[in-house]
Amino acid sequence: MAHVPLTPIGMDLGHVVDATSAQKRRTVLEQRESVLRERRAIVEAGWGEKYVDRVHAKGKLTTRERLDLLVDKDTRLFEVGTFVNWGRKFGKVESPGAGVVTVFAQIEGRWTIVIANDNTVASGSWWPRSPEKIERAQEIALKLKLPVVYLVDCSGLYLPEQGLSFPGRTGAGHIFKKNSQLSDAGVPQIAGVFGDCIAGGGYMPIISDRVYMTEIAYMVIAGAALIKGAKSLSLSSLDIGGPEVHVHQSGCADVRVPDDRAAIACIRTEIAGTGSSSKVFYRFGAGPLEPGFPAEDLEALVPTDHRMSYSAEEVLARLTDGSLFWEILPERGKEMMVGVGRVNGLYMGFIINRQGIVDDPEHHSAKKPAGILYKEGIAKTAAFSRACDADGIPIVWLQDVSGFDIGVEAEQLGLLGYGSSLIYTNSTNSVPMFTVLLRKASGAGYYAMAGHPYEPVVQLSTSITRQAVMEGRTLAIAAFNTKLDDDFNIASTDPEEIAKIEAGMASTEARIEEDMDPFRAAAQMDTDEIVPLADLRAWTEVFAETSYQALGTRRVKNPRIWSLHDIAALSEPRG
Amino acid sequence: MFHRLLIANRGEVATRVARACRSLGISPIGVASEADIGAAWTLEMDEVVCIGPGAPSDSYLQGKRILQAAKQTRSTAIHPGWGFLAENAGFAALCRSHGVTFVGPAPELMARMGLKSPAKAAMRAAGLPVIPGSDGPLADAEDAARVAEQVGFPVILKADAGGGGRGMRLCHNISDVRDAFSLCASEALSNFGSASVYLEKYLTGGRHIEVQVLVDNYGNAVHLGERECSVQRRHQKLTEESPSPALTPKEREQLGALAAAASVRVGYTGAGTIEFLRASPNESVGAGELYFMEMNTRLQVEHPVSEMVTGIDLAAWQIRIAAGEPLDFRQSDIRFRGHAVEARINAEDPTQNFRPAPGTLSKFSFDLNAGPGKLRLDTHLKQGETVPPHYDSLLGKLIAWGETRDEAIETLLAGLASARVEGLPTTISLHQSVLQSAAFQSGEYDTSSIPGWPPVAAKR
Repeated sequence: MAHVPLTPIGMDLGHVVDATSAQKRRTVLEQRESVLRERRAIVEAGWGEKYVDRVHAKGKLTTRERLDLLVDKDTRLFEVGTFVNWGRKFGKVESPGAGVVTVFAQIEGRWTIVIANDNTVASGSWWPRSPEKIERAQEIALKLKLPVVYLVDCSGLYLPEQGLSFPGRTGAGHIFKKNSQLSDAGVPQIAGVFGDCIAGGGYMPIISDRVYMTEIAYMVIAGAALIKGAKSLSLSSLDIGGPEVHVHQSGCADVRVPDDRAAIACIRTEIAGTGSSSKVFYRFGAGPLEPGFPAEDLEALVPTDHRMSYSAEEVLARLTDGSLFWEILPERGKEMMVGVGRVNGLYMGFIINRQGIVDDPEHHSAKKPAGILYKEGIAKTAAFSRACDADGIPIVWLQDVSGFDIGVEAEQLGLLGYGSSLIYTNSTNSVPMFTVLLRKASGAGYYAMAGHPYEPVVQLSTSITRQAVMEGRTLAIAAFNTKLDDDFNIASTDPEEIAKIEAGMASTEARIEEDMDPFRAAAQMDTDEIVPLADLRAWTEVFAETSYQALGTRRVKNPRIWSLHDIAALSEPRG
Repeated sequence: MFHRLLIANRGEVATRVARACRSLGISPIGVASEADIGAAWTLEMDEVVCIGPGAPSDSYLQGKRILQAAKQTRSTAIHPGWGFLAENAGFAALCRSHGVTFVGPAPELMARMGLKSPAKAAMRAAGLPVIPGSDGPLADAEDAARVAEQVGFPVILKADAGGGGRGMRLCHNISDVRDAFSLCASEALSNFGSASVYLEKYLTGGRHIEVQVLVDNYGNAVHLGERECSVQRRHQKLTEESPSPALTPKEREQLGALAAAASVRVGYTGAGTIEFLRASPNESVGAGELYFMEMNTRLQVEHPVSEMVTGIDLAAWQIRIAAGEPLDFRQSDIRFRGHAVEARINAEDPTQNFRPAPGTLSKFSFDLNAGPGKLRLDTHLKQGETVPPHYDSLLGKLIAWGETRDEAIETLLAGLASARVEGLPTTISLHQSVLQSAAFQSGEYDTSSIPGWPPVAAKR
């Protein structure tokens, strides 16, 4: 069977959730997603109007304005790392977005990664975690071989906090190593230098293949302030490292341009000179198709209460072209659903946890709760993940998992071994993998399903994502184990002690709940971005188009020779 | 913007570019041969570097020395002016590889436009009408004969790399073509280093009409109307005017738009001129048609007439475009107003077959308030200066502007009448004859003869 037997999945929302419940779910979710929108707006505003005016007064555009001009009309940005440093104070000030904007952006029809210092936040200086945020965006570009555009306007490290951003393994200097690795891998890098670029800010553009400088931009190892005698000679930093020097004398930049707009026009032209997208070729004759059911349905499909179940199939029906899907090994390990669908015409592998109650293969006609990893599901997932890697099919992991099964039977069945096989598979895959934490991302399940420590290209959270070793209640049980009986009830009769243990367990649970706040995770870069549920189809399109943009940089087998067919052939019932 | 710009030229164009530099706040840096040291025009520069002896081949054509001068004076751009290295793609590439911005189009483009048949092919592809002929170089004499039959006689064989009227053979029939082909190819090889020869229909007379374009680095192009340059003596332009009396307003608009669009399509940037030949009404085929001849990838001597009718400073815009500035106006912003006529005043004796006559200018003055319209004098010379023998004989250009063509002519005549130039013979009397001739005044003239010259009295 060389065809890819995609078959229709999903039902109209009305058949899945009644109208009242749907409305209720949307209302609860909206409370969280409105917070997400508000906070996003706060980050986008940088340090506010006063600083915007300050940028304009210098004859410059703000970083957000530059981005607007840089990208293709009628396309949107897909930002990552928006909430890095969210809520973190440095003395009296905060650093919205860690002072840098990193986005997937479309320029001249090509997906690019744009890394832009936010010049409305401390003149684009680098805060603690700004280097890591920049490096993360560079990693994404390196994995997908996407051209990188740097909009550089950076007055160097934010010096009062230099101890946190200078010396470490991922300190500012590591950005230049990443620049070098991108160059080594043949990924085009283009830099526009728009203003003060001091020290690190000066190094950053240089490794780029093409460097544009505006008339008010300069790049210096040290500014005039540190040059002995600069005052008496009335030397400015512009004299020391402006376009007059770097474009014409030192050769550290290539082209001078009068202003921001001209620089951006030139960068667009440069991108037009890079390889165009191979997505049409890799669609293997198909065209893009909307899913049969709107992505907004996800708001009503996935309950905000993590204890309530939903249909994994219905989720996939909102992400795949025409709601068409080829499920692999549908009869085995039903707590997992794996298979292939198209996204904008491009084949993508999907791995998602089923929820609710599923068959227990170990005990005839018995049932067990899903959202947990059991032997067959793990084995199926590992085999599928490995096959996708072999076939060059990018994988989207959709996590809503409490963890591995535990207990006597789990150990006897060797879940540690099956889990390790899955972890090995995911660790050594070279195909692009993307992870979405739909809701729960707990325990070893988070790891085994390509969570952040397994370096997916991008990991997204939603406003209802909960990342933790275990849920707060479970952790409280573990912590107070000695005080509990066999059924995890408090093993005491003393009312005072009971009250004390209850309070202790409640406080542990509350602290864990707080830790599981997705904004906390995003602030410390434990996830790349928090997105609205309804945005998941759009993001999946980004995953597909970026994975298939570059030609000849990774293995993409035509569907006739997929190893998935072998698995399917061996799993079909005989006769 | 560049802080210091080196002008790789001398004389009138050096002063013109220096003026543009000043208007942009750029410090102009000059180069001068030993023969030019101390000349008035060199005093307009902030610094001058001597680049060698008087002969152009030892100084103004020494690209490496000029680049060295730019580096040592920390000049970040070089303006080549016109003549000398202005259309030398190798020099432009040399500048680029040393980080010095060459004020002009990319070397690749210059190289393409410098060769006749690639330029013709590029412009035909960009939508301009070209003189019927071969598609690029000819393979052999039989190929030439075949093409000649197609386009009809007379035809002209031309060296691809030729210029200045050399390397051409006129053929009236098929045996002429067969005889001339190998001769023309071997001459081309020995004179221009390339045996490539192409063929096109030979047109006699006709009018030289050229369109001025400005194109920035962002694909924005405008045209500044056309110049009529049909008053010529052996391909040397003498008197130029804008607009051309030969075009209707509709033709002007169409030709300009076509030229601007073609410039963008071939990848041109900066100021450029596309030259057209309007075929004579007496041609058997294509009478009155406008054909692309060549593109000049530089500022033209006669650019002031376009500046006078549009109010746009071409030299300054060349530099601004080279510094990456986008055009801050569009075609619809350009207002064509009045009429401008220019007279090139050379130190030549028109009564002695235009023999150049170097010497000392004992008197050199013009009354720029002489006419009903406006007068502009572009010159590099001061009274009392000596004109060196090594270079072209241009003393200056007198440009007149009037609301109407008649007023412009009247103004230029008044300006010429006010001239007090002594010590050297000049072409002033020639211009007076041309401007007063019925042929010029009616606008009915072409390149086959100079209107009003020689004067009737001299003909006897």
